[in-house]
Amino acid sequence: VTRRRPFRRRGHDAELRAELRDHVERLAADYVRDGVDPDEARRRARLVFGGDDVAEACRDERRFQWVGALGRDLRLAVRSLLRAPTFTAIALTVLTLGIGATTTIFSVVDAVVLRALPFPNADRLVAVSEMEGATIGNVAPQNFLDWTAQQRVFESLAAVAYSGISLEGNGVQEPETLAAQWVTANFFETMRTPPLLGRPFTADNERDGHAWVAVISYRLWQRRFGGAPDVIGRQLRGQLGAFEIVGVMPPGFGYPVGAREATDVYTPLVISASDRVRGHSYGYYLQVIGRLREGVTIDAAQAQMDQLAARLKQDAPSWYRPIRVQSLHAFITGPARTWMLLLLGVVICVLLIACVNLATLMLVRATARGHELGIRSALGASRWDLGRALLVESLVLSLTGAVLGVLAARIGVEILRAALPADVPRVAAIAVNGRVLAMAAITALATGLAVGLAPISHLARRISPSLRDRARGYTANIEQQRLRSAFVVTEIALAVMLLVGAGLFLASFARVSLIDLGVDTRDVLTIRMRPLVGAWNAAQAQRENGGLLRSILQDVQGIPGVETAALVADGLPFRGDVRTAAFSIPGRTFPSALEDIDRNQISPNYFHVLRVPLRRGRLFTDADRQGAEPVVILNAEAARIYFPNEDPIGQIVRFQGTRRVVGIVGNIRHDGPETNWRREGFVPIAQSPTIAATLVLRTSRSIADVLPPIKTAIRSRFPDLALPDIEMLGDYVRQLTAQRRVNMLLLALFGVLGLAIAAVGLYGVMAYLVTQRTPEIGIRMALGAQASAILRSVLVRALRQMVAGLAIGLAASWLLSTLVKDFLFRIEPHDVRIYAAAAIVLLLAGLAAALLPARRAARVDPLIALRLE
Amino acid sequence: MTHSVKSDIPQGTLDLLILRVAALGPIHGYAIAQRLQQVSRDVLQVQQGSLYPALHRLERRGLLIAEWKPSDTGRDAKFYRLTSKGRAQLKTETASWSRLTEAIGLVLLDPSGDAS
Repeated sequence: VTRRRPFRRRGHDAELRAELRDHVERLAADYVRDGVDPDEARRRARLVFGGDDVAEACRDERRFQWVGALGRDLRLAVRSLLRAPTFTAIALTVLTLGIGATTTIFSVVDAVVLRALPFPNADRLVAVSEMEGATIGNVAPQNFLDWTAQQRVFESLAAVAYSGISLEGNGVQEPETLAAQWVTANFFETMRTPPLLGRPFTADNERDGHAWVAVISYRLWQRRFGGAPDVIGRQLRGQLGAFEIVGVMPPGFGYPVGAREATDVYTPLVISASDRVRGHSYGYYLQVIGRLREGVTIDAAQAQMDQLAARLKQDAPSWYRPIRVQSLHAFITGPARTWMLLLLGVVICVLLIACVNLATLMLVRATARGHELGIRSALGASRWDLGRALLVESLVLSLTGAVLGVLAARIGVEILRAALPADVPRVAAIAVNGRVLAMAAITALATGLAVGLAPISHLARRISPSLRDRARGYTANIEQQRLRSAFVVTEIALAVMLLVGAGLFLASFARVSLIDLGVDTRDVLTIRMRPLVGAWNAAQAQRENGGLLRSILQDVQGIPGVETAALVADGLPFRGDVRTAAFSIPGRTFPSALEDIDRNQISPNYFHVLRVPLRRGRLFTDADRQGAEPVVILNAEAARIYFPNEDPIGQIVRFQGTRRVVGIVGNIRHDGPETNWRREGFVPIAQSPTIAATLVLRTSRSIADVLPPIKTAIRSRFPDLALPDIEMLGDYVRQLTAQRRVNMLLLALFGVLGLAIAAVGLYGVMAYLVTQRTPEIGIRMALGAQASAILRSVLVRALRQMVAGLAIGLAASWLLSTLVKDFLFRIEPHDVRIYAAAAIVLLLAGLAAALLPARRAARVDPLIALRLE
Repeated sequence: MTHSVKSDIPQGTLDLLILRVAALGPIHGYAIAQRLQQVSRDVLQVQQGSLYPALHRLERRGLLIAEWKPSDTGRDAKFYRLTSKGRAQLKTETASWSRLTEAIGLVLLDPSGDAS
C-alpha cells in the first residue's frame, strides 16, 4: 500500500525537511561504507549538503510564480530609479511634500469633521437647540422641562451645562481646577455609556441637597486616585464642598467629545426653583441631547418640536424661539465644517500639482528612455512587460513617498494641533491613526497609478518607432509635446490658484493684525484667581476678599520685575469674560437693547497696566473705596451713546447702585480684532463684592523669574486657590486669531509649495526640451543665430506655457474665491491687486526656472552639438 | 579518488536530465544524484543545492509526481516519477537538445572557422 502524503497535516515544510534529512542520511551511510567514522560521516554529509539554503531554494520554487515576477519588477524598478538619482530625489521630495501635506490635513479633517461619534448607536443621537436668529443657541431650563414633559419622539432628552470644579490641595497634590459638566441623570443612558465602575446618577440626585455626587473620568481616576479599586464612595474635595464619587466612566468617554481640556467630572444638573418658572429672568445655558425613538426620523422629531414651539409662541411669546433638531454629529462638527472642507480643498490642490508634476517628470523620463525601452522591446519584452515595469517604478516611488509623507505628517499634525484654536471640535482626537494611514496608502496608490499611466499611454502607441525616433532626435513627437505642455499648464494654473488664495488670506491676516485693540498687550501677564473665599456669601466676600486682594496687590507690586499691577473682575479682555449689568440714567429712557452695559470691577492701576488712554476726567484712586462716593468710568463708546450731546463727567447714573461718572477711557476691542466696541462701565473693585478676580501685571522680566514669588504671595492669602489660567494677555489675543493664523500659514505654505513644485516641473520640461533640441540649436548657431536669440526663443516658449497657465489659474481663482468670502477680513475676493501679485510672483519664479535651461541652450557649442548626430 | 575533469551541469539542462532519469521508474532524490554521476561516468557533478529546487520546480509544473514509499533503508522516502505531461516534455526537449548539439557540433567542427 502506498501512503501518499503522510505529512499533509504538518504541511509541505515538514515533508521537505524529511526529504532532505533522508538525503543527508543516505550520504552519511555511503561515507560509512567507505570507512568513515559514523559521527564524522554525518557531520561531513551535512556540510556537503548545506541543508538550510537548499530548503529555502525549494521553498522559493514552490511559491507562486507571480511573486517571483513581482520581485524581479521591484528589483528592476529600484535599480532603474537609483540610476537616475536627481530624478528620484526630485520625485520623492515632491511626493513627500504632497502626501505629507495631504495626510496632515486629512488627519485634522477626519478627526474634526468626518469621524463618527464614539458612542453606541451614535447615529440616533440628536441635538435639540433654540435658534438665536440664524445661529444655534443654548436652551433655557424652563423650555427643556417643557419639552421633556411633552415630547413623544425621543427615548430620552438629556441636558448638559458647562461647569468647573476647583479641588483643594491635600499636601501631596496641588489645588487644581478641573473641567466639569453638569448633566441630567439620564445623560449616561442617553449616550448608551454606563460607568465602568459604580452607578450613574438617579433622578433623586437632581434635587438640591442630593446633588453632591460625582461621576469621574477614567483619566482622573488614574491620575488623582492611582486607579484605586475602592474609589467609589471616596470624596472629591472641591472648594465649595465635597462630592461623593459614585461612578467612573470608561476610558475614552468624554463630553464634549475630544475637547482640548477633557471633562474630568460630571455632577448632577440641578435646575433651581427660579429656573423652573417662566418669570422675567432668561438664562440660556443648556445643551440638549436626545436619543430618537425607534423608527423616528430627524424630520419627524423636528415636526413635533415645531408644534411644541408653536404652542409656546401662543402661551408665553417672550419665551418663544424656533427649535432646531439636528444630528449630534452635525451639531458638534457644524461650526468647523466649512473651514475644514476649505483646508481639504486647498491641500488636494497641492496634491494635484504634485501628481501632475510627477506625471510630467515621468513622461519626460520615459521619452528620454525611449532608446532603452526600444532595445528592451526589440529583445522580446512585451508591451505589457514594459508598461508593468514603468507602473511598478511609479508605484515604488509613490509608496516610498507615502512612507516619507506619513513621517512628515506625524510632525505636521503635532504642529497643527497645537496651532488650532481650542474651540475646534474634537481637537484632541487629531492623530495619525489607522484611517489616516489607509487614506495615505490609497492616495499613494492612486497617485502611483495615475502617474504611471501617463507614460504608458504614449508607450502603447510609440514603442516600435522609438529606435528610429531617437536616431533623429530633434523632430520631437508632437503628441508627447502637447501632453507635456498640458501638464505644465495645469500645474501652473493650480499654483496660481494657491497663490491667489495665499494672497487673500495673508492680506486678511495683515489687516487683522493692524487693528488697534485699544490696549497694549505686550508683557502683560494675567493670573486668574477663582473662586475666592465665600462665593456663597456676598457680605462675607466683600468683607474678606477685598482686604485679602488688596494685600496681595501690595505684595506683588514689590516684586522685582513687576512694573505695575492691577486687579480686574469679570472683565479681562480677550478671554471671553463678559458680565453685563443694568445701566440707566435717572429721568431718561433707552430702548431695551441699551438697558445694560458691561460691568468691569477694577483696581486703580488697571488702565496703567493695559495702557488704555484716559480721554476725559480722572482715573480711580485709592480714595475711591467703600464708604466714599460711588463712582464709575465709562468707555468712549458708552459715553457716545448715552451722552451724545453733553459732557458725561459729573453726571449721575444708575449702575450697581447710584454712581457719578468721573472719567472716560479709550475703547477696547473686548472680543478680539474682528469685533466692534462694546459699551463698558468700570467700577472700583473696592466698591463692590468680589468672588473672583484676575491679577494683571506689566512685567519687565521673564515669566520664570516673576511667577514663583507672585504665586507665593497669592498662596499666603488663599492657600487652597487653584491657579488654572496663567497666561500672557497677548496669548489670549492669539487664541482669538488662531484660525486666521492657521489659514494664513497653511495657505502661504501651500502656495509656496505649489509654486516650487510647478517651477520644478517647468524647469524639467524646458531642460528636456533643450536637450532634445541641442542638435537643432547647434545647426542654427552654425548658420549664424545669435546666442541671445536662442535664449529668447527658449524663454518665449516657457513664457507661452506660463501665460496659458496664468490665464486659466486666474480665471478659476476669480470664480472660486467667492467661496472663501466668509473667511476673509476687509478684503474683497476679487481684489485685483492680489491677482496681479500672484501673477507676478508666478512669472518671476517661472522665468527663473526656465532661465537655467535657456542659458544652457544659448551656450551650446555648434561643433559639439553637431557631433552628437 | 578519481581526479578526472568534472563538469557542472549546464544551466537549464538539469531539468532535462532529471526527467530522463525519472523516466526509468520511481526514484528518490539521492538516487537521482548518484545515477547522474554514474551514468555520466563521474563527469557530471550535480550540485546538491540545485537538485532539490529543480525537483520541486518540476513537481510544481506537473512534470513529476511524488509519493512517499518505504525504501531500502526501511524508512519512507520520497519517490518521483514522470507524469504523462512530463513524458511529453522529455520527448520534445530531448529532440531539441539533439538538434542543438548537432548544430553546435557542426559549427565547432567547421575547419574554415579554425582561427588559431
